[in-house]
Amino acid sequence: MREQGLAADDPVLRLDRVGLSYGPDSDVLADVSLSLPPGSLTFLTGPSGAGKSTLLKLAYLGLRPTAGRISLFGTDTTHLRRRDLAPLRRRIGVVFQEFRLLDHLSAYENVALPLRVAGSQERGYRQDVVELLTWVGLGDRLDARPATLSGGEKQRVAIARAVVVKPDLILADEPTGNVDEEMGDRLFRLFRELNKRLSTTILIATHDMALVRKAKADVLRLADGMVVRVPAHALAPKDAPA
Amino acid sequence: MSASLSPLLPKEDAREAALFFVVCALCFLAALSGLVSRSAYAAADAWTNDVTGQITIRVRGDDAALLQAVDVAKAVPGIASARAVTRDEAEELLRPWLGAGGVPVSMPLPKLVAAEAADTAAAEDIIRALASALKTAGLETVVDDHLVWSADVRKSIDLAGLVALVAVGLLGATGIAVIAFATHATLLARRDIVELLHLSGARDVFIAGLFERRFLMLGVQAGALGALLAFGAAAFVLYLLRQSDAQIWLLPQLSLSLADGLILGLAPLIAGAASMIAARVTVMRSLSDMV
Repeated sequence: MREQGLAADDPVLRLDRVGLSYGPDSDVLADVSLSLPPGSLTFLTGPSGAGKSTLLKLAYLGLRPTAGRISLFGTDTTHLRRRDLAPLRRRIGVVFQEFRLLDHLSAYENVALPLRVAGSQERGYRQDVVELLTWVGLGDRLDARPATLSGGEKQRVAIARAVVVKPDLILADEPTGNVDEEMGDRLFRLFRELNKRLSTTILIATHDMALVRKAKADVLRLADGMVVRVPAHALAPKDAPA
Repeated sequence: MSASLSPLLPKEDAREAALFFVVCALCFLAALSGLVSRSAYAAADAWTNDVTGQITIRVRGDDAALLQAVDVAKAVPGIASARAVTRDEAEELLRPWLGAGGVPVSMPLPKLVAAEAADTAAAEDIIRALASALKTAGLETVVDDHLVWSADVRKSIDLAGLVALVAVGLLGATGIAVIAFATHATLLARRDIVELLHLSGARDVFIAGLFERRFLMLGVQAGALGALLAFGAAAFVLYLLRQSDAQIWLLPQLSLSLADGLILGLAPLIAGAASMIAARVTVMRSLSDMV
């Protein structure tokens, strides 16, 4: 699923002086610039209310910025037509903080959703979806509806849905926020494997600094509407969330 | 894992039941209007065909004048037949108004001649010639050719047909508006699903397709039930009329002609197509406002 027009070192995601405000004196993001190189794994940290989820929402084209420019896979999205959004979105896997599972679908059907949207036939993906759900520990909950799943189980379904199409870019909002440390490590290994094996670019917004330290990955620290990049090697061992 | 995948758009049981009822009722009324209108046209055709070419001559005078009028009429070119209407026949014609007790012997009845034009297309010319011949023979007569009556019936039926057409049009427009409103309401109620589908890479036409299929099925099913009920209602009304002593000869006759079948068969198809198009247009317009 690599973008044909994307040069090897072109950023997968690039924000140039992006701002978002809902009116005068209500800036959510003031002046954010960042870029994610292909195959990178990066964490996005910052205090609650700093705008991490908003930044991710801008990145997956769920919001339009009021200032600046966002490029995805080498495509400037500023003046993109509606019909051109879908192909870009299909290359992005999103793990929403609030999961956003469809209540009337089973765990299996929720994970298969992006494949159905892409027009894939069920017989072609059934095995992959089952294996993925088994891998995240939900092999025996395929038919379970979200209402009967615990917070951690919902989170794992949401992660499986985000990675099932092997997207080029994964944007994850607190993906380990509702699971224990062991499951958190396991889920992170899934991201790591996708990152290493398929060169998937991954941006994870998290408060979990223990996970960040273990991952030894670059960190984008968001505060006061701006982003500062902290290289992995510069991260202090006991660095607390800024 | 389920044997078949659940629909991406969940069923809205209560809301859809109400919508089903509304569409069904609209289709019932539209199909009934169509059936009644078509039957009225068919009946009007039958009435006017029956009377076209029929000529009634009212004669003033005694029985000799009546018989002379018959002879004069028979002699006019283009008159296929002419005969005097008997007192019994006249009483039979008056029975609906005067009852079955018969007409008192002392009551004078109009003396009538029933004639028929050989060529209905040339009826007007023949009638003119007949009136002229009766006048020349010195008879005091009034010739009634039913043409004015037929024209009035036609005019009334045309007007009724226009009213029925407007009613069907209004019912159709109402149905489309209701479907559009329901689609919009469903879209708003399921905005979370629509957004998620969008973020999963679904195109607008894919999402519109979900609503189209949903409302196509609803329109076809509700339309079919409405058409069936319309036929049942019409048949029931006709049955009741036939069971009663009411004079129904002026009422439209329900039949199972090809035209009736067409009206009943088209009702669900039109309802389905209108529902589908209304849903598509509404969804596409609403989606264009989303990110």
